Amino acid sequence: MNSTFHHLLESKFGKLLLLLLQMGLGLLFILASLDKIWNPGLFAKAIANYQILPLPLLHITAIILPWIEMLSGLALVFNRYPRAANLIIGSMTLVFTLAIGSAMLRGLDFNCGCFSVTSTETTMGSLKIIQNIGILGVSWLLEYRHWLTPGRQDH
Amino acid sequence: MQSIPTLLKDILGLFLVSTILGLTAQTILPNGIGIKTELTLVGSDSSGTVIPSVTINPNGDSNEANSISLEQAYSAYLEGSVIFLDARDQVAYQQGHILGAINLPAHAFMDSLSLLDELDSEQILITYCDGVDCNASIDLAGDLTMMGFTRVFFFFGGWQEWQTADYPTGSSP
Repeated sequence: MNSTFHHLLESKFGKLLLLLLQMGLGLLFILASLDKIWNPGLFAKAIANYQILPLPLLHITAIILPWIEMLSGLALVFNRYPRAANLIIGSMTLVFTLAIGSAMLRGLDFNCGCFSVTSTETTMGSLKIIQNIGILGVSWLLEYRHWLTPGRQDH
Repeated sequence: MQSIPTLLKDILGLFLVSTILGLTAQTILPNGIGIKTELTLVGSDSSGTVIPSVTINPNGDSNEANSISLEQAYSAYLEGSVIFLDARDQVAYQQGHILGAINLPAHAFMDSLSLLDELDSEQILITYCDGVDCNASIDLAGDLTMMGFTRVFFFFGGWQEWQTADYPTGSSP
């Protein structure tokens, strides 16, 4: 089973599929970052709603985070530093998912600021968590291939 | 496989470039914000609460307002000197609203100007809408600020949070 899976990932089809997944993931994060980059104030508000981050870190997080998403997304799309970018995106998604889960457990109900900062867009909830688990799956797959190919150069 | 130090170097590099781009963008973008999180006191000095003052559009003409939580909205309500503005449409307002709130639908803002004529520009105004999937409260708060009101807040949790908390509500026939 494992061996078949490895062969699939190492096949031409597998490599093409992984490249498409990588580019798709990158594009997703580029799109997710645009609104936040344009409206850092609203994004800061969305972060504040989670009541997790210390207040002094609110603005600086809202300023830098969207650019990390944008840059990591671009890196994945153009296949530059893909492993570093994927690890960043995977880690961020994990943190976002935990934040949404924690907010849900605390009974908070508000715009999650995940893909847009306006309240008419995505609302948080189970659907968002399922979506994030999908992203984490792709991210894990992209990382896993590096363990199969020793000596792989990522630049 | 890529060595761990190289990988860490790449990750740090991406973080560093993102930080530089993010900070630079704040000086260029029209909606740029400062690094420091400003705080706002809601309510009087004795009973007030400090909340993060999130600026929506600091470099715009004057389109800015601050977000307040359910607790702050309720504390302001008890204090009694604030006016709640319900940004939803008339039907939703009639079905139920924060007790004492005035209906001022965000989409019909220009038709409701007479309501605001008598108010002092320093009157504390708190806008709200449904609370989930709605940004009418933010839009209305922006419009009011642009009109010259200087102490405008939007209660993002809105009607749903207020109702869930079982705070005073009213309805119209």
